[in-house]
Amino acid sequence: MTMMPAVSLSLLFSRVFTLDFVYLLTGLVLLVFASLTFVDRSNRRRLGSGVFWLVLGIIFTLGSLMPHWLTGLLVLFLVALDGAGQVSRGSRETEQKDQAEHARRLGDRIFIPVLAIPIVTFAFALIFRLRGLDASRGALVGLGFGGIAAMIIGLRLTGGTARMMMEEGRRLNEAMGAVNILPQLLASLGVIFTAAGVGDLIASGIQQIIPANNLFLLVLANCLGMALFTIVMGNSFAAFPVIATGVLVPLIIKPYGVNPAMAAIITLTAGSSGTLMTPMAANFNIVPAALLNMRDQYGVIKFQLPFALTIWSFHVLLLWLLIRVL
Amino acid sequence: MHLEDLLKLSGVIIVVIGLALKLRTTLVVVVAALVTGLLAGLPLFSNEGFFQDLPYLTKPGQTGIINTLGRAFADNRLMTLFIITLPAIGLAEKYGLQEQAAALIRRVHAATVGRLQIVYQLFRVLNGLMGIRLNGHPSFVRPLIFPMSLGAARAESNPHEVPSQTIEKIKAANAAAENYGNFYGQNLSPVQAGILLVFGVMQGLGYVVGVWDLVFYTIPIVVASILLAIIQFSLFDHRLRRDREVRR
Repeated sequence: MTMMPAVSLSLLFSRVFTLDFVYLLTGLVLLVFASLTFVDRSNRRRLGSGVFWLVLGIIFTLGSLMPHWLTGLLVLFLVALDGAGQVSRGSRETEQKDQAEHARRLGDRIFIPVLAIPIVTFAFALIFRLRGLDASRGALVGLGFGGIAAMIIGLRLTGGTARMMMEEGRRLNEAMGAVNILPQLLASLGVIFTAAGVGDLIASGIQQIIPANNLFLLVLANCLGMALFTIVMGNSFAAFPVIATGVLVPLIIKPYGVNPAMAAIITLTAGSSGTLMTPMAANFNIVPAALLNMRDQYGVIKFQLPFALTIWSFHVLLLWLLIRVL
Repeated sequence: MHLEDLLKLSGVIIVVIGLALKLRTTLVVVVAALVTGLLAGLPLFSNEGFFQDLPYLTKPGQTGIINTLGRAFADNRLMTLFIITLPAIGLAEKYGLQEQAAALIRRVHAATVGRLQIVYQLFRVLNGLMGIRLNGHPSFVRPLIFPMSLGAARAESNPHEVPSQTIEKIKAANAAAENYGNFYGQNLSPVQAGILLVFGVMQGLGYVVGVWDLVFYTIPIVVASILLAIIQFSLFDHRLRRDREVRR
């Protein structure tokens, strides 16, 4: 009998505190969103939108069991739905008046459910670490259980109903829309680029210009490529898979034995410096100028330009220095 | 370079042109993946299950593009896990989360326009650290930070009116503070989009990096972004002060 707690604890970690279980929970949330979308009369495309979230929910729930070709076909279906303009949102918004009233009643306590998410995330990462498990996975599992904990705390604190909560979640989800799955698609694009040998091709092209033993020029090309691709595409997340497969891994990380975490994250934010300089990143640079009724629609970019160029140069120097030092 | 090599690059070109033309992003990315795979001579499906020996669709011994797409998409579900946090955040918003956050910011008494931007940027870095994803331009900058900045500028220039060119510069500074805090601060949490994207892409390339290592190595960049912003916004304050003296 004294063995029981230990056994059930390890069972908990092998069955419940797993990524698959958290994917299952997220899938269930998506299935609830989908069912609410199907009956949302304020959404003119409720059928297409509902099917989109339903299929994504199925991929989340069964993704580890389904054959890959089926998942692949479902992904193509999702993207076709979005491409045909069938994914959209309802027009219902939360009442502003209600919010102000509740804000007075609950005060700062309304932060508790939101703060529960990072606290649980961090706690899981720590516990995984202490048990000798992967702390990266701990953070992700913790994010899932943090979401659940926040739901429970939120319901008890506000006295709201579960239905209301899921409606509000769906509102946020639909506000982002199909773009939600973009990082997943971009990572998949990176995998296919690698399988097709695109990375090797870009690498060999760059090698014809830059000698393989000139680390500084390679780092410069890496950060410049990242910034330029971001400036053209307006999205550093889209640029990253291309630069990582074509430049960073084959020309810097592999030959020089560089710490991959360090080099990769610095390369990503070298792209963020590009985002600050480009009208293509309209959400961040052009839309705000419109929101603020600025006379010059490029006013935000002009203000950010000296900052962006300086911090980009810092990326080049830092990456080069850390490779030499570490 | 051979022609077939150049054809392989068509996927990169499709992404660049498609996104530059503002075509639907999801569609552009998947078309680029399919075209790249097909032009590289990869089959659509792996030669197994009921696709076994199907002509045109499969090639012996090669993994299909659709199979690779499905596996990569399933492996990278972790990037979209944040959906599970939306019901709780939505509920909190209905019960006044944004109003309360606004009240929190209003309690800040920054004496100058520049200092207010620094405080707001730090607030956004803190949001990132807590794993909160939000676009602050519509929710904080327009309704809150801009009026507060204008108030600070008017208080300083008393009794003079703030000239319209100065107001334009203040607006630009507001938007910049949001972007600086958001872009660099978000990587301080292991469950944010950028960290998970890097984690997933590097895994696909055969490098298992820890999300906590990614967070660790972004710290110098975050510190640099804050220091640079402090310099830029302090210079901004200095210029506003000099402009006022010129007018007197």
